[in-house]
Amino acid sequence: MSHYSGNIDDFGMDTVSLTGSLEARLKAVQAAGFTQIMLTAKDLVDQPGGLDAAVALVRGSGLRITGFQVLRDFEGSSGRLHDYRIGIAKSMLAMCHALDCHLLLIRASSAKTANSDTRALVRDLRQLAVLAIPMNIKIAYTAGSEAHSVKEFSQAWDLVCQADMPNLGLGLDLFELLTSGAPESELEMLDPDKLFLVQLADAMGTPDAHFRVFPGEGEHSEALATLVKRLHGLGYRGAYSFAVFNDDYLQMPLTTVAQNARRAALWLGEDVLQRSVPLPNQIRLKRAMAA
Amino acid sequence: MLATSNLTQTGGDDREAIAEGANPLGLEGVEFIEYATSKPLALGQVLESMGFRPVARHRSREVLLYRQGTINIIVNAHASGTELSEKPVISAIALRVRDAAAAYRRALDRGAWGVPTHVAVMELNIPAIHGVGASRIYFVDRHKVFSIYDVDFTPIPMVDQLPPAIAGLHFFGVVQYIGNDRTEDWTEFYRELLGFAELPPEQRFGILPKGRILRSPCPLASRFYIQLIEPEMGVLDVEDDEGLQRLGLGSADVLATVAELSKRGVEFVESGSVHSDVRGALTKTWLGSVSFEIVHNLRA
Repeated sequence: MSHYSGNIDDFGMDTVSLTGSLEARLKAVQAAGFTQIMLTAKDLVDQPGGLDAAVALVRGSGLRITGFQVLRDFEGSSGRLHDYRIGIAKSMLAMCHALDCHLLLIRASSAKTANSDTRALVRDLRQLAVLAIPMNIKIAYTAGSEAHSVKEFSQAWDLVCQADMPNLGLGLDLFELLTSGAPESELEMLDPDKLFLVQLADAMGTPDAHFRVFPGEGEHSEALATLVKRLHGLGYRGAYSFAVFNDDYLQMPLTTVAQNARRAALWLGEDVLQRSVPLPNQIRLKRAMAA
Repeated sequence: MLATSNLTQTGGDDREAIAEGANPLGLEGVEFIEYATSKPLALGQVLESMGFRPVARHRSREVLLYRQGTINIIVNAHASGTELSEKPVISAIALRVRDAAAAYRRALDRGAWGVPTHVAVMELNIPAIHGVGASRIYFVDRHKVFSIYDVDFTPIPMVDQLPPAIAGLHFFGVVQYIGNDRTEDWTEFYRELLGFAELPPEQRFGILPKGRILRSPCPLASRFYIQLIEPEMGVLDVEDDEGLQRLGLGSADVLATVAELSKRGVEFVESGSVHSDVRGALTKTWLGSVSFEIVHNLRA
């Protein structure tokens, strides 16, 4: 990819930022120069013509699927409810597989009834990971402020480590980190190979009413840039997905929103991570330091 | 000799590794291997040259049972819904377990995908989970009292129902091809669901030492292995090509077995890196997909 076209391969949009038909959204994302996109189960189910038609559209778009979202309220249930959750998980995995997508996102359970006993959570996460193995799907477990007990990424990381499955890793939502006040120094404990996805959004608004905007557009851009550089320093080389759900964007033309996302990707890729500057030994050196 | 009792996981595994002996399902070897093909006669000829004899046929479907010694192979040409490939594929492994229903339940609790019985290819109501690719793993627990074949198969008249094995051949293992970077995933799959353990890299059998070898938790007399092989370095995008690739048959004397099979018309690979020796041998590939590996192995 030339310098002119910009090096934004590592960044992807999320369909939640866009409104309209799946086809129009895929086209807008691709037209803005992105090579990957994060999909939501609802995108497929809502498609006229059903799942098969949606899968054909996605495959035809040529876009890589960053990941498929989102499994909610999965872990910590028991009895019939657990069986029900397993059924939902299997359905999500089957859709993910149909898309040739290799990453399923799960948000920590926000169910009030969820068991917060570590052993129960670990057992459920292991079961999910085993379900995903034959389909070659990785599971990214993400903490969130809405969760019942796993609100911070360090708690999610702890469960991922205890579950100890090769295809179970952490999903990191940097917006949560920006707005929760969790100490970012805790990022240092992460193993970059077990960090399966980083979601990004800048934050705008007051501390008790933050909303999401594209990176570089918000009031926390510098802090966000620092976090991204820190992850890069740790050795993270996976995808960054713009997890920007914002009602304003849903009433703007697709091309405008996609161009805003492109500007964010160029800012992160070229100014923050300096992707277009060739530094041949950089990766290896940082790997060695991380080890 | 290992303890053949079935130690249950006690939750003490954070303190000590109970590497040998743990056999949560009471696994005791392989009951049968199933091939699916639209050309069952062609595969039958291959099996016969390898020393197998057709001994029974399914009562209502195009399914044949071949046997030599303790090895049972089912050739399934009954297409139910899906188109069968001309190239035979290993479509199932049936494992002998202490209690099939309990084994099935335990596997589901740990993340296996159950196969609904109404789509099962055979009429046998054998619980099964999905394995690699389109293959299945059956759980069979009736091997001691009476044979599962008694119900659904009719013996072929005038045929020895227990044909002896050529040169003492016995089931040794199965080779599974996997995608790039998939070794840890599949190791965990077989460990978590069936109690397999990985062998250290220096422990190898036969003449094709690539990949990782997993040992079944069975007692020594019925122990078998799964060998996981990733693509050669630099080969991309083969992740959808995962599947069971070939069977390994154990022999106490590989060269004698090779000589015996050669007399029956079996050809072996004799190239620079792969050739028959006392450790093992590899047959040439029939029908575009079927080969057997002979591995030196003394069965207790």
